[in-house]
Amino acid sequence: MPSLTLLGQSLVSGLFIGGLYGLLGLGLGLSWGLLRLINLSHFALVLLGAYLTYQLAGTAGMNPFLTPLLIVPGFFLLGVVLQWAFDFFRVNEFSSLLVTFGITVVIESVIQWVWTADFRRLETPYATLSVRAGPLFLPVTEMVMLLVATALSLLTWAWLRFTWVGKGMRASVEDPDIAAAFGVSPRRLALLLSGVGAAYAGVAGTFVALVYTLAPSQIYGWIGVVFAVVILGGLGNPLGPLVAGIGIGISESLTMAVAEPSWAPLVSFTLLILVLVLRPDRI
Amino acid sequence: MLEADGLHVGYGDAPALWDISLTVGDGELVAVVGPNGAGKTTLINAIARLLPIRRGRLRLDGVDVTRATPQEVCQRGVAIIPEGRRLFGGMTVEENLEIGCYRRAARRARSESLDRVYAVFPILRERHRQLAGSLSGGQQQMLAIGRALMARPRLLLVDEPSLGLAPAVVDQVFEVVQAIHRDGVSILLIEQNAAKALEIAGRAYVLEGGRVVSEGRPGELLTQSHIREAYLGGGA
Repeated sequence: MPSLTLLGQSLVSGLFIGGLYGLLGLGLGLSWGLLRLINLSHFALVLLGAYLTYQLAGTAGMNPFLTPLLIVPGFFLLGVVLQWAFDFFRVNEFSSLLVTFGITVVIESVIQWVWTADFRRLETPYATLSVRAGPLFLPVTEMVMLLVATALSLLTWAWLRFTWVGKGMRASVEDPDIAAAFGVSPRRLALLLSGVGAAYAGVAGTFVALVYTLAPSQIYGWIGVVFAVVILGGLGNPLGPLVAGIGIGISESLTMAVAEPSWAPLVSFTLLILVLVLRPDRI
Repeated sequence: MLEADGLHVGYGDAPALWDISLTVGDGELVAVVGPNGAGKTTLINAIARLLPIRRGRLRLDGVDVTRATPQEVCQRGVAIIPEGRRLFGGMTVEENLEIGCYRRAARRARSESLDRVYAVFPILRERHRQLAGSLSGGQQQMLAIGRALMARPRLLLVDEPSLGLAPAVVDQVFEVVQAIHRDGVSILLIEQNAAKALEIAGRAYVLEGGRVVSEGRPGELLTQSHIREAYLGGGA
């Protein structure tokens, strides 16, 4: 049995990585739930955002926390263009898997071409900064990541719940024809939503660059667990991924502490399979 | 208000409506009656621009909207009470009403329109935070009517409002439709219950097999024996 301190520290790191899972799942879940597109390229955009942060902060000397100012508008546009193309080519839920896998491979190749397949590490003073709380260490960057994930999830929830655009979006998910007959433009809202999703990928990318060592293949590292997060959290529910992400993050890190690190994926996939068996209507 | 001139409408390769010409004048209540499968709902959906028009002309206030989008038709003051209600079941009663006033001209009048709808249907105010999907059939029809009223329409397309409702509720629905008409809204009413529809309509069209087979004042239509037999249950 590991010590209480180790368990506490696992709990903390599980909580923080849950923030990242939530952030990654937020964008994926929005387009899956509200646009019925399973956007695998979301993960490629995250890594692209991470490499851009690496470039801007590492090489150009920008403060890494300011890089989203440049990345977010660019990614928003990219998301709009992607959605426009999906719409133009009439991509549906199933073909979206294939199409966005293709886009993922292209982005991966671009990353490899520009930054090579070598590991890249953004060296910043933030990387080692942490606060002590009793016997536990709280890494500052990851704390900010959890805060940002929470803030974006809550903002997205409020946006969908209280604004005209948000209500129009939910109405067009339920019945696009009738929504259109009352003046809602589902296609325009889809462009906006896709832009927002891509912008979230950019934000997540900045944190990935701050916390992890980068390699192009990392694109595929999170797909499984984030799919579990999105499905557990409920498609299109903006708060679900964060809650599910934290749940999975904590259970993973406790499994690592109590059993073996290699057992960690077992937890998320067991949960995913249980949900799919018991509540298949969640997809 | 509305002029359809020689409309042909079809799903895929199969035409569903042939050469439909009809008009709804300002402030008129016009009924379209006919049996199941005559193309009544297709007609409404084509006018709301939810279905492509193959041939013919559709005009609203003299402006050609044959190729317009549903949003453009909505901006011109057309609202729909669709067959089977088609509410946004996962949204609250009040959110459904708010989608009704989504178009810019109606948004400004949101709270005023809400008060008006709640005055007509107090039960909707009581349940305004409930999900639309949890309402009873009659309440859902009231919400569908309320949603259309929120749009402050000048022309209301009403599709089979009595479908699946208890007789007492049907009476109430028809009373509300008449009240909306008295407020100056033009109405195109599609209804299988011909007796009821002809009672309140100023003019009517009979649709059979995708064609208009007869038109006129309800009194005139009722003198035609085959219409009486087909829609009013024999020798009434």
